[in-house]
Amino acid sequence: MFHWLEQRPFFFAVALFLTVAFAGFVEIIPDFAKASQPTVGTKPYSVLELAGRQVYIKDSCNACHSQLVRPFKSETDRYGMYSLSGEYAYDRPFLWGSKRTGPDLMRVGNYRTTDWHENHMMAPSEVVPGSIMPAYPHQFTNEADIATAYANANTQKEVFGTPYDQADMPKLGSWDEANAQALDDAKAIAKDMKNQEVKDAVAGGKIPEVVALIAYLNSLK
Amino acid sequence: MQSNAQLEYDYSVVKAFTFATILFGIIGMLVGVIIAFQLAFPELSNLAGEYGTFGRLRPLHTNGVAFGFTLSGIFATWYYVGQRTLKMSLKESKLLMTVAKLHFGLYFLTILLAVVTLAMGFTSSKEYAELEWPLDVLVVVWWVLWGVAMFGMIGMRRERTIYVSTWYYMSSFLAVAMLYLFNNMEVPTFLWSGDAPSSLMHSISMYSGTNDALVQWWYGHNAVAFVFTTPIIGMIYYFLPKESGQNIFSYKLSVLAFWGLMFVYLWAGGHHLVYSTVPDWMQTMGSVMSVVLILPSWGSAINMLLTMKGEWQQLQTSPLIKFMILASTFYMLSTIEGPIQAIKSVNAIAHFTDWIPGHVHDGVLGWVGFMTIASLYHMAPRMFKREIYSKKLMDAQFWIQTVAIILYFTSMWIAGITQGMMWRAYDEYGSLLYSFIDTVTVLQPYYTIRAVGGLLYLIGFFMFAYNMYKTATVGRVLDREPANASPMAV
Amino acid sequence: MDQEILLTIQGYAKFFIILFVFIVFYSYAYSIYKRQRTGERDYEKYSKLVLDDSLDSTPLEERDRLEKKKS
Repeated sequence: MFHWLEQRPFFFAVALFLTVAFAGFVEIIPDFAKASQPTVGTKPYSVLELAGRQVYIKDSCNACHSQLVRPFKSETDRYGMYSLSGEYAYDRPFLWGSKRTGPDLMRVGNYRTTDWHENHMMAPSEVVPGSIMPAYPHQFTNEADIATAYANANTQKEVFGTPYDQADMPKLGSWDEANAQALDDAKAIAKDMKNQEVKDAVAGGKIPEVVALIAYLNSLK
Repeated sequence: MQSNAQLEYDYSVVKAFTFATILFGIIGMLVGVIIAFQLAFPELSNLAGEYGTFGRLRPLHTNGVAFGFTLSGIFATWYYVGQRTLKMSLKESKLLMTVAKLHFGLYFLTILLAVVTLAMGFTSSKEYAELEWPLDVLVVVWWVLWGVAMFGMIGMRRERTIYVSTWYYMSSFLAVAMLYLFNNMEVPTFLWSGDAPSSLMHSISMYSGTNDALVQWWYGHNAVAFVFTTPIIGMIYYFLPKESGQNIFSYKLSVLAFWGLMFVYLWAGGHHLVYSTVPDWMQTMGSVMSVVLILPSWGSAINMLLTMKGEWQQLQTSPLIKFMILASTFYMLSTIEGPIQAIKSVNAIAHFTDWIPGHVHDGVLGWVGFMTIASLYHMAPRMFKREIYSKKLMDAQFWIQTVAIILYFTSMWIAGITQGMMWRAYDEYGSLLYSFIDTVTVLQPYYTIRAVGGLLYLIGFFMFAYNMYKTATVGRVLDREPANASPMAV
Repeated sequence: MDQEILLTIQGYAKFFIILFVFIVFYSYAYSIYKRQRTGERDYEKYSKLVLDDSLDSTPLEERDRLEKKKS
């Protein structure tokens, strides 16, 4: 029977595919529904935070920073409470990372401030002597893509039922409303910053990448 | 049937992919060396503004070597091994010839676009699946074209039984198709942008959080399986017996190892998520299956080593055999190292550290790199009908690259274990002994050694490129095809 | 159906699937070694597919035989 298979490429391919594929079906599908339930209190990202998340992705921060606290004392002492599945319910894509060239950022919002991030993104090794992180001055001049962040949020709402615009949840509304809200949020961040160009840009209605990124990092708790 | 007298194998597509292998190999490895030096000497990080930072370059490196260098090598050898073991020529079918050429053209275009878009920061952030959705669509198109060419060629074969190498190529085609499709299920966000002037390139994953991670590492682990492992095994099952003129030690073992590998490999993906938020039993399953995976992996590797039984003197006379035997040995090393890292208690220390890139690189530099290089060397005299330009150069390349790999993985082993231990070290009062930055600065010497190792490997690769170029242009012309050992000038 | 029952079913399903594949795999292993020993089929000759692979050499096994058998 097996020899028969080996001389018939079509049936061979079918058998091969089944052998390879079925681990996936058994392993992945059954836990899907359960794992996508959000933990109580977890909220979707605001538009500004999503724009910052996109900056995080664009510059591949996840190449060096994880967002996953494992359940060991040495990790909870260093980074805070270990991660729960439901905390990631609104993360598309997930950003766990696979390498800690730098520290974990899962709960960085608990122990770093806007001011700290501002200095650190401009010149990491001046804030943390010995740091090998690159400086990111371009984030102070590049503009954050709020429109795409809105599209991102709206896609989540329309396609995946992420609870925007519900009681106790972030408001999304129309593009104009969301844009105005993002600018307000950005102003609140820029108030705590020192860089004059960034302050001027925000006052003029533009949002530099670094402001969005800080909004995102502050939301990680 | 037409007469076979004038008909010969067609190597035009093979040559095109060989060129792509060398080109993308240089690009991918060069970027790798740059980012390795950046970690050792961070002043190098900001020489090219936002385009020169580690974060931008790292996806460029991984995609460049995995989907540029390795895939080209796989395609080049497929069109070579496929024709020869099926005993059919692409010249016999205009259609398949066109499909194969289109496959190359679209593939080449995609990788070039990938280099540009990744440098610009268009990334989905999922490892080894970073390309954004328009490129994903292109990938699917040429992957299907490869499948059409493959099954078309199989359909036209003269040989009734399909050789085991082709099985491995087939498994790559099928498995990667499935994995890639499911992992890249994404929704372009501009479709729901309302009035917002949003980017056309952006998309979000169909899965969220833990599920996304699960699918990603089901993909990520098995992309390693079906890009870095199975096609390379297919290559060694053809090129080692052919170059040495030996029968495979046991064809039966190769068949059994094949099915074993196919069945077990997919289960092992969970080992990337040990101690994460995916369900416990899945993590345990991932660990256990990773250990079981040693059996079929070593089955193939030992089969290859025993193929040289009684002919070990060839190791002295032919640098090509040296490349292949060392590749096989490195395969054994990384397939024992992987399962060790998958054991939960080891994983607790090793995960997130430099031991992981160390493990990846003894596999890809030693196994994938060496096997691809050896295969291209073997094909060169057959497709260019010329003698290999220099044996001495090849020998020197072998030793330089071998030293390079050893520097690379030993430094990363030490770095990884040092870092893993320091992260969890406590002082006598029960507080953490080291701040995070201590665990970074301590690695500087190892990062330097690693970068030097990478540089040596790149130098070896330039020697390879030069040797291939010289072979194609000025090698002594051969009057007939060599049967086994590839002829090389001193 | 609640999560508990689902997981239990899944556990059993997995056990029996693996057992099934295990049996199939080893009977396959046994069968090819037996066929080699009894001389029903020589697997080792397939190495020749590599060593003798020029386009004009005679195929190890002609495909035409396969078509004839089918009819």
